[in-house]
Amino acid sequence: MAPVVQVSAVTVAFGGLRALRGIDLDIAQGERVAVIGPNGAGKTTLFNVIAGDITPTTGAVVIKGQDCTYRPSRQRPRLGLARTYQKARAFAGLTVRENIYLALAGHSGRHRALWQSRADRGMRAEAAEVAARTWLSGQIDVVAGELAHGQRRQLELAMAIATRPDVMLLDEPASGLSRGERERLIELLESFDDQLTLLLIEHDMDVAFRIAQRVVVMADGEQVMAGTPEQVRADPHVHRIYLGTEAAA
Amino acid sequence: MNLRERLTGETLALAGLVLILVLLPSLATAFFVNFVMTQTLILGLAAATIVFLAKYGGMTSLAQLLMFGIAGFMFGNAALDGGARGLNLGWHPWAAVGFAILVTTLAAFLLGAIASRTTGIYFLMLTLVYGVIGYFVFAQIVEISGPGGITSIQRPDLLGPPVRLYYAGLLLSVVVYAGFRTIRRTAFGLALQGVRDDPIRMASLGFNVPLHRTLAFTLAGFVAGLAGLLNVWWNGQIDPASISIGPTLILLIIAVIGGISSLEGAWLGAFVYVLVFTYLRDLPFVDRIGITEARFNTVIGVIVLAIMVLSPEGLTGIVQRLRGRLRRRAATEPTASTGGSLPVHTTTQKELGGTRS
Amino acid sequence: MSRLKRRTALALSMTAGLALVAAGCGGGDDESAGLPADQETVAGDGTGSPPAGGDGVRLGILGQCEGPFGGFHEDVVGGATLAMTQFAGATPGSSTTALDGFTGAEVAGTPIELVGIGCGDDTADRILQEVRRLVEQLGANVIIGPLSGDEGIAIAEYAKANPELTVLAGISGSQEQTLQVQAPNYFRFYGDGAIWNAGLGDLLHNQEGWDTVAVIADDYSFGHTSAAGFIADFCAVGGEVTSRVFPPLGTTDYSSYIAQLPNPDEVDGYFWAVGGTGTQASLEAFVNAKGDLTGDQHAGNLFFNPGLAQALGPDIAGAYVGGFATLPGDVQTPEIENYLAAADETWETIPGALSGNEPAPPSVAAAFGFFYGYYTAGVALVEALDAVGGDMSDLDAFHEAISGLTLDLPYGDISLDENRSGVVDVGLSRLVLDESGEVVQETVAIVPGVDQTFGGTFSPDTPSPGRDFPACEERDLPWEGNAIPVVDGVPQS
Repeated sequence: MAPVVQVSAVTVAFGGLRALRGIDLDIAQGERVAVIGPNGAGKTTLFNVIAGDITPTTGAVVIKGQDCTYRPSRQRPRLGLARTYQKARAFAGLTVRENIYLALAGHSGRHRALWQSRADRGMRAEAAEVAARTWLSGQIDVVAGELAHGQRRQLELAMAIATRPDVMLLDEPASGLSRGERERLIELLESFDDQLTLLLIEHDMDVAFRIAQRVVVMADGEQVMAGTPEQVRADPHVHRIYLGTEAAA
Repeated sequence: MNLRERLTGETLALAGLVLILVLLPSLATAFFVNFVMTQTLILGLAAATIVFLAKYGGMTSLAQLLMFGIAGFMFGNAALDGGARGLNLGWHPWAAVGFAILVTTLAAFLLGAIASRTTGIYFLMLTLVYGVIGYFVFAQIVEISGPGGITSIQRPDLLGPPVRLYYAGLLLSVVVYAGFRTIRRTAFGLALQGVRDDPIRMASLGFNVPLHRTLAFTLAGFVAGLAGLLNVWWNGQIDPASISIGPTLILLIIAVIGGISSLEGAWLGAFVYVLVFTYLRDLPFVDRIGITEARFNTVIGVIVLAIMVLSPEGLTGIVQRLRGRLRRRAATEPTASTGGSLPVHTTTQKELGGTRS
Repeated sequence: MSRLKRRTALALSMTAGLALVAAGCGGGDDESAGLPADQETVAGDGTGSPPAGGDGVRLGILGQCEGPFGGFHEDVVGGATLAMTQFAGATPGSSTTALDGFTGAEVAGTPIELVGIGCGDDTADRILQEVRRLVEQLGANVIIGPLSGDEGIAIAEYAKANPELTVLAGISGSQEQTLQVQAPNYFRFYGDGAIWNAGLGDLLHNQEGWDTVAVIADDYSFGHTSAAGFIADFCAVGGEVTSRVFPPLGTTDYSSYIAQLPNPDEVDGYFWAVGGTGTQASLEAFVNAKGDLTGDQHAGNLFFNPGLAQALGPDIAGAYVGGFATLPGDVQTPEIENYLAAADETWETIPGALSGNEPAPPSVAAAFGFFYGYYTAGVALVEALDAVGGDMSDLDAFHEAISGLTLDLPYGDISLDENRSGVVDVGLSRLVLDESGEVVQETVAIVPGVDQTFGGTFSPDTPSPGRDFPACEERDLPWEGNAIPVVDGVPQS
């Protein structure tokens, strides 16, 4: 079966800085992949390339068999792709419900209606259900700008899962969360449908290794190694460049 | 929303205000109604489009007076018959209205599309350039602007008596105010606010951000065009000086006086502006302290400066703060505020919500 | 619902309250309260103004306190005021400024009350708001003004829409306000921008022997109109305009426009209608591009004055200059002396534009066209009131009386044509060297009885003067060959 996401020989250069140097990554449907690596390794750039926020300098991105290399990010949701951002980017002036509603509206194509219809009421109700799944029921009418950090991360996640995507890119979903919150998060991620393809960047090895079936280690814009969590955990090279620094930090 | 939710203090106050305004022609002098209030409603409508774009779209536009002017010029060109000025197409007044609105909306769409990839100060500068270029277009291409302006513009018979123009302004103001408020909660309005808060995020959710900005600009241009029609009917003429840089800035100032993030503020700012221009000189001894007619712009400037320093939210912000202070003094109980369910904390919320960042 | 919404509610109720407060003090007149605004015209419905004839004249003056002519505010209000003090027994409100108005004016038992002075800024929008304030709020039933061309068209239109009003134009020079608008209640007792150059073409062609001329004029309505008057006159008597150049208003570097002009050996002369700072700048550019300036080869509209010699030197001497309502100071008739003396008796000083808005004898301002134009309007009001015995109750009769006036004024008689625009005497002058070698302005001829049609060149059916209009055509002018020579300040009639 063809991979759902296919990244081939992608390089990204910002002026003289080469953020990615020839990355290849194939992800099969339903696969759970974690990308780890030290800061500056190019993980988020890789995400941005897949999500369409950055056009690669060379190389290609194919999603579900369609070449998306030069397609703008706004065409990704139609392909069933959703993402979160490392730094929560909820719409600060809108409520939790409205934020999730926008994710749903963006996916449904209902972008420019000047009146409220049955479809809107449906999406608002659905937004409440999604909020409940991410423990935001109590904040459903709170403006996103007033949420606590952890709640913003929950909202980020809520907006990603709202559209029931086939492919989900999660950029450090556990960062800044308390231990209890992490447990909740892992619980949620583990509850996803088997067919959902999940790619996540995660600094928290606990989360990454529990969720992922495959771990990709990046450094300096390149893939250093890839393998099962056990293989990666055991690799002395990875230990030195990444886990070692992590342990020291 | 159920009925009880709709009957808030705000809607009651609004209904009361509209009622007063409806009754105003039998309460106040003809001058106050036909001059002060009609001008207030017209300028308020135009300023409301600035507020709409700024508040919901994060776009501070200096091109709204241009849209206002395009509609006026186009109506004048289409409706006038004979005479030395303009194209003299001699169409039926309502056909001319349709033509004026169509041209204005198209112009807004085109200009909006060009500006749709800029934000912040660049958007402001680009729309300023629109305003300046628009002025020169009408000043130089005398075939569509006169020469020297299009005069003797008559309003349609339906709006013949001045008080009907007032009511037309009032009706449009109410419709536009309610419309802009309603749009805020529609897919279009929410998406526009999303574009304001984070355009990149909006794109990743599947929205066409430049198109959305363009359409918002088009809608604002359409409304500004309506205000521009009322204006030429009220004023009877329009010339290039009507849309020069001075009036362009004054429209922005009106929006700032009222509070650029408050729709009501557009009309409040227009009201204050018209009041100052009409009545300030009637105050006793005001000329003795050097405030003569020639210094009105200075007075307006001082007002704007004071407002910017005291309350960036404009007069609406000052009113809100005063009210907040009064309430704090009056009530010891906590205010019933945003989201009724907020005080009901669950354990999960505590666990997941209160994290250090 | 939310706190925010309640706040806006308060904001709105405040607005409503403010509206009511303002409404209360808006009209001022007690009898206006409770009257509906549903009237086509406000001036005559009794809401703001008393019925015409009942309480006499409620006069509003439209000046300009801002914009390019803001400096003339004092002058124009002074002009109207002087007519009141001289002929209606009024007392000025101050001895050092005209802006304090006057009191106690009365003609044939009918009081003239100054209700307000409007403050324009040279835009039509603003002057409309000012006139509406004077008429609809303060109840003015007679307006004197406005000052400039586009304002005149707007006010004439306003007068047309408000037939109860009577407007006596101030010094606004556009043709259309009378020729095209033709409001029956709008009267202009002075000439338009084209009239001031009437007779100049006759003089230059028939006396100085110019057959060809190049015209350079500001590219806006006054420049077009002023040049149109010269072209109509010069062509009517058989001259030919070989080129027309129109630099935009506010040009600082005129060299590219001068380059479009023919060289001095290719035409007999040049006519300049470039105003403001452009007059000098354009002539300097001419010297730079074409070599010398020979005064004999140039003529200009009212912007040519002896002050140009400061920068251009005495070479400018010899140039002919069009008129502007009054005559240069070298003409001193008893009527003119009385008029200037009356101005000096009315105030000690007034800060007019000619003295840089510093206090100066009022006669300085009174000798110039802005003051005089408003003065003629004031005199017309007084004489018309006198003609109807102070009874304005029959407006048609009052307006007919105004239309039929022939004013015997210090700088010549003025009557009105069928469009109620002035038929006037135009004073032509020349820049000459006096005994001490200074360039001074000397009156050379007075062209009597000039009307705005120029023998049919301009009519209600012709377009506004523009870059291509009027075309150069020979035709009969009523004043051709009728110019009265003036020698040493004395008309030779």
